[in-house]
Amino acid sequence: MRILVIEDEQKVSALIKRGLISERYAVDVAADGIDGLELAEAYPYDLMILDLMIPRLTGAEVLQRVRRKNAFLPVLVLTARDSIDDKVKLFELGADDYLTKPFAFAELLMRVKALLRRGPVNRSSTLRVGELELDRLTQQVRRAGKRIDLTAKEYALLEYFMQNEERVLSRNMIIEHVWDQSFDGITNIVDVYVRHLRSKVDDGNLFKMIRTVRGTGYTIRSGNET
Amino acid sequence: MRRNSLRARVTTFYVGMLAVALLVFSAAVYFGVKAFLTKSLEQMLSNSAHNIVNDYLVPLDQKGEPWLVAEMSESYPPGTNDPFVRVSRGPRVLYQSGDMRDPFVSMSKIPLPSDQKWFNNFHRETAASGQQIVLYTLPYNAPNGSVIFVETGAAFEPIRHVLRSLLLILLLTTPTILVVAAIGGYLLMSRPLRPVVVLTEQAERVGRKELGERLPIIPTGDELERLSLALNRMIDRLEAALAHNHRFSADASHELRTPLTIIRGELESLIQLPLPTTVMEGIGSALEESNRMAKIVHSLMTISRLDCGGEQIELVPVDLVEIVSVTLEHMSLLAEEKHISLRFEAQRHAYVTGDPMRLKQIVVNLVDNAIKYTPEEGSVSVFVRAEEEKAVIIVADTGIGIPAAALPLVFDRFYRTDQARSRESGGIGLGLSIVKAICGVHGGAASVESIEGRGATFRVELPLLSSTLMEVEQLRSATYIGQASNQTFSGAQK
Repeated sequence: MRILVIEDEQKVSALIKRGLISERYAVDVAADGIDGLELAEAYPYDLMILDLMIPRLTGAEVLQRVRRKNAFLPVLVLTARDSIDDKVKLFELGADDYLTKPFAFAELLMRVKALLRRGPVNRSSTLRVGELELDRLTQQVRRAGKRIDLTAKEYALLEYFMQNEERVLSRNMIIEHVWDQSFDGITNIVDVYVRHLRSKVDDGNLFKMIRTVRGTGYTIRSGNET
Repeated sequence: MRRNSLRARVTTFYVGMLAVALLVFSAAVYFGVKAFLTKSLEQMLSNSAHNIVNDYLVPLDQKGEPWLVAEMSESYPPGTNDPFVRVSRGPRVLYQSGDMRDPFVSMSKIPLPSDQKWFNNFHRETAASGQQIVLYTLPYNAPNGSVIFVETGAAFEPIRHVLRSLLLILLLTTPTILVVAAIGGYLLMSRPLRPVVVLTEQAERVGRKELGERLPIIPTGDELERLSLALNRMIDRLEAALAHNHRFSADASHELRTPLTIIRGELESLIQLPLPTTVMEGIGSALEESNRMAKIVHSLMTISRLDCGGEQIELVPVDLVEIVSVTLEHMSLLAEEKHISLRFEAQRHAYVTGDPMRLKQIVVNLVDNAIKYTPEEGSVSVFVRAEEEKAVIIVADTGIGIPAAALPLVFDRFYRTDQARSRESGGIGLGLSIVKAICGVHGGAASVESIEGRGATFRVELPLLSSTLMEVEQLRSATYIGQASNQTFSGAQK
C-alpha cells in the first residue's frame, strides 16, 4: 500500500511517515502543492494525506485537480481549522475524511485503515475480544460465558473498544464516537464511564482487559498473547 | 414606536413654532390695523377742520355769518353721519351739523370746547348713549380778535366694529390653520421618514447573518444620503475588522496547532519505546498537558469565532426541553459518581431557534461546572421554562458558591474563583465563556446569582419561539428541504 503525504511542516510529515512506515506502508512526502500534484499524477497511490495550508497551491486546489483525474483516490485532509463551514466545503471538494490538528497518531492510523479498507468496519453480529463476547442483535455481553449488564452508553463504549481491539482510543475519539462534539470540553465524562465499564468487565477477573494509556486514552486487550 | 415619536416630536415642534408665528402675526395685524384706522380717522378729522378754517372762517369777516351757515349746511348738511361739525364762537354756536344717527349720538349733549389742552388736539368723548366719539378741536383767531372753535368729530364705533370682526377672523383661522398644519405635517413627515424606516430595516438585516449586505443609498443629496453613506462606510470598516479578526483567528489556530501536532506525535512515538517508568511518567504527563493545551486552543478559537460572528451557526427550531433532558441523561453518571442528586424539571416544550450542538454545549458546560463545584451528597437542579418571550434554562447547585466580588467576572475567559481547586478538577477556565458566547450568537444572555457557601444559580435566557408543536414541525420540515427554504424560514420567523 502506497501513501502520499502532502504536508509542508517537515516535522509533521516526518512523524506521519515514520508512523506509517512502522505500520508497513510505503510513504512518499511532498512539501508543497505542485510537488504533491506531480507525485499524485506520476504514481498510483492508494491514499493521499493532504494538509490544507501548503505553499504554491492550496490543499483545496490540489484536491480539486486530483479529483478531476482520479475520482477514487481516498483523500484524508488534515486541517488546522475546525469550523463547520470549512468541513462542509471539504466534503464538497471531494475529501473522504478529515482530521483536525493536533491529532493522536492512533486516530490518523485508524482513519487511514478505514479509508483503505473502503468498506464497513466489522459489522458481523458478534464481536469477540479474548473471552469477551458482544452480541449486536441481542445487545448482550458475556465474559467467559458470564453475562454482564450494561447501560446503553456503556454498551456503546464497549462496542467501540471491541471494534478497535488493541488500538489506543483517545478521549476525543471516544467522545466523538460515543457522545458528540458538544461534550468536547469535559473529557472526564469518558474517564467516569470507562471506570464504570471497567468495574463491570474486569472486576473479579485476574486479567484486566480495559487499559489506560497515559496521556493518550484507553485500549482493550484480549490477553491472549500474555 | 420610536419612529412615531420622532414624527410626533417634529410635528409638535413645528406646530408650536407655527402657533407662535401666527400669534405674533395676528397681534401685528390687529394693532397695525387699529393704529392705521385711528390714524386715518384722525387725519380725516384734522383735514376737515383745517378745510373749514380755510374755506369758511378766513372769508367770514367779509361775507358774514349767514353766508357761513348757508355754505356749511350745503357742505356739511345737518343730520348726515360723519363727520360731525360744529363751529362756535365763545358759548355761541355758529353752525352745527345734526346728531349722528348710526350710531345715535346727540350732539347737543357734547360740551363746548373749554379745556385748553384739547385745542389743536384730539380727545374722546363718551356720548350719552355710551358711544365713543373722537373729537378734534381747532381754535381760529379771527382778525377781529375773537377765537372761533372748529370741532370735527366722528364715532369710533365703525373702527371698533372692523377691529372686532378682524379679531374674530384671527381667532377662528389661527386654530384652524394649526390643526390643518398638525395633521398635514404629521402625514407629510412620513415621507422624509420613509428612508429612515428603510435604513433601519436594512440595518437590522445587516449583520444578523453576514455583513455582506449594505444599506440602500438614498440619492436625495441631503443628510439622509450622507447618513446612509456614512453608515455603509462604518459597515465596511466593521467588515474589514471582522475579516482581520477571522484571519487572525485562523492563522493563530494554524500556528498553534502545528507545533502541538508535532509535540504530540513525538511524545506518542516515544511512548512506544521500552523506557524506564519515570521517563514514561514524564512523557505521559507532557502528553496530558499537550492535550490540555489543544483543548484550550480549540476553546479559544471557538469563543473568538462565536464572538466575532465568524462562526456560521445552524439555526433550526428545536425543543430546548428535549435537548436538556437528553444531555442530562448522558451526564447522569458524572453526578452519580459524586452521589449528587441531579434533578430535572421542565414544562412540556420550550422551542427556540438555534444550533442543537451549541445549545447542548451550554447544558454540558453549566451542569459539568455545577457538579464540579458541588461536594458529595449535594444536589444539582436543572429547570427549563418559558417565561414570556424567553426560554430559560436554570442550573442551580448546592455547591461552594461564588464570592460576590467574583460574580461579574465568572464569564470572563480564564477566570477562576479558586485557582487551586478548579485546576485540580481539570477545567480550563473557558467553559462559562463559551456558554456566554453561544448565548450571544443566539440572541440570548447568561447570568449568575450566588450566595457563597450555599450554591450558585446560573440562568440562560434564549428568545422563545412562540409556535405550537405543529408549526415547529412544519418549519422544521421546511428547513430541511433545501437551501432556499432557509430564507423561507427566517421570513416565517418574523
